Amino acid sequence: MNSNVSRRADEKKLLDVRQLNVIYGKGKDSVHAVKDVSFHIKPGEIFGLVGESGCGKSSLGKAVIRLTDPTSGTIDFNGIDVASLKGRALKTYRQEVQMVFQDPYGSLNPRMKVGSAIVDVLEVHKIGKNTTERRERVAALFEAVGLDPNWAWRYPHEFSGGQRQRICIARALALNPDLLVADEPVSALDVSVQAEILELLEELRAKRNLAFLFVSHDLAVVRNVCDRVAVMYNGEIVEIGDVADVIDHPQHEYTRKLLAAVPSF
Amino acid sequence: MKSKSQSLWGDAWRRLKKNRLAMFCLGLVIFFTLLAVYGEIIYRYHEIRDITPSYQLTNLDAAYEAPSSSHWMGTDGLGRDVMARLVQGVRIAYKVGIITSMIAIPIGVILGCLAGFFGGKVDDFIVWLYSTFASMPGLLFILAIAMVVPDRGLLGVYLGIGLTTWVGLCRLVRGEVMKHKEQTYVQAAKALGLGSGRIMFKHILPNISHVIIVTFSLRFPAAVGTEVIMSFLGIGVQGEPSWGLMIDSARMRLWQGMWWEMTFVTIALFLLVLAFNLLGDALRDALDPRLND
Repeated sequence: MNSNVSRRADEKKLLDVRQLNVIYGKGKDSVHAVKDVSFHIKPGEIFGLVGESGCGKSSLGKAVIRLTDPTSGTIDFNGIDVASLKGRALKTYRQEVQMVFQDPYGSLNPRMKVGSAIVDVLEVHKIGKNTTERRERVAALFEAVGLDPNWAWRYPHEFSGGQRQRICIARALALNPDLLVADEPVSALDVSVQAEILELLEELRAKRNLAFLFVSHDLAVVRNVCDRVAVMYNGEIVEIGDVADVIDHPQHEYTRKLLAAVPSF
Repeated sequence: MKSKSQSLWGDAWRRLKKNRLAMFCLGLVIFFTLLAVYGEIIYRYHEIRDITPSYQLTNLDAAYEAPSSSHWMGTDGLGRDVMARLVQGVRIAYKVGIITSMIAIPIGVILGCLAGFFGGKVDDFIVWLYSTFASMPGLLFILAIAMVVPDRGLLGVYLGIGLTTWVGLCRLVRGEVMKHKEQTYVQAAKALGLGSGRIMFKHILPNISHVIIVTFSLRFPAAVGTEVIMSFLGIGVQGEPSWGLMIDSARMRLWQGMWWEMTFVTIALFLLVLAFNLLGDALRDALDPRLND
């Protein structure tokens, strides 16, 4: 209908989420984790999502990547509503949007060589002709995230937290996505390692025009890496805008409280 | 960063090697395995040549001879050498242990994986199924299956034991899969577009393989024991020397002082069960991935 017209009217949007609701469970015990949330992400943009634990920011991230099924609302990705995709179409969507998780220790299969896990992903999506070619791709991905390609044939327990997170990023990049959902990607890491990973994310954005949905509770990190930011409270977005505006001139009561809770602001 | 990559199996083996009792049991298990292979070769040899093996030849003049240098473990009521029959008995015991495992373990693993991974109605159905199986008295159920199988003998034993002993493993696998399903690496696999079958069997299954190995080492002697009971009751092995038959025939004359057949068979059974159980216990410790760090 008129959505085409409106999209042409404003800037190009990579991801456009409208009136998204996520409700877990049914009846009395149900939890309304995400309430009528709307936002958009432009290509190559780092979009921050901040809020306290349990505010629904992770649920929103999981809904965007479709690990959680949204209860209602639309998730428009490059003109296609992905909120109710299933089967083959959902698998295709997986190539466009990928995720990096908070816990670098739990997100790699302990019984699988890290490179084999990536080869497995390439195999499922029929990328590369044979195993040799897929192994070459793995080596290239390892280089892209700043790891020695020879390390690809080791088990996860031989790597440090920061190295593991790099491997997770390499795995997410294997499908060459346009959007990366990063759910607290650095909060489990040491501060010095955090900076390195954030640098890597910036570099990937610059090289691949990769957009990020950057979920975090750390305002300092968000301030440093994000272009725009949304503040979530109790399942709703209470404030949204350029990162400098939101953090330096907070409009909403909750944002002010959140900022006041951080010593450096 | 270590210079050389170490597999988790290598780690487990290193830990197992430190446990002396486990290594002794492993030696015992290997010894029994070799006996079983030897028994199978002897059996095949006589079958191809179509001659009666010496352990089946009756010699009533030599009945109930006490252990001596010519018969180390004495002879039975038909004058057959107890040691030769004991060794052939290992063959039957292994056949029962391995074949029933090949029936029970796939059923338990596949149903457990499906129930744990999919949850919901699939889970309800499988839980109902195994609860039904578990609520029936085991031996009676085994006897019923063995009676129904037209060709009595070992097939009845295999099916009887195989079809009734998957419940414990199924329950264990279901629980483990439920636990792993929530872990981030499975979430990541889903997000990467991997199919359910691949996630279940290629990603989760290797992580719970220790459960399967331990279960095998514990259910193997249990199956051997059940075969002995069935043969003892007369619905198991027929014609071949099995430990159950030997115990059954030995009990008649035990009170007359013919102790050797009963004693040696019981010791062999005891050692086999003990070795497998202790090894299973040690394997459980060695293979547990939580101990890795």
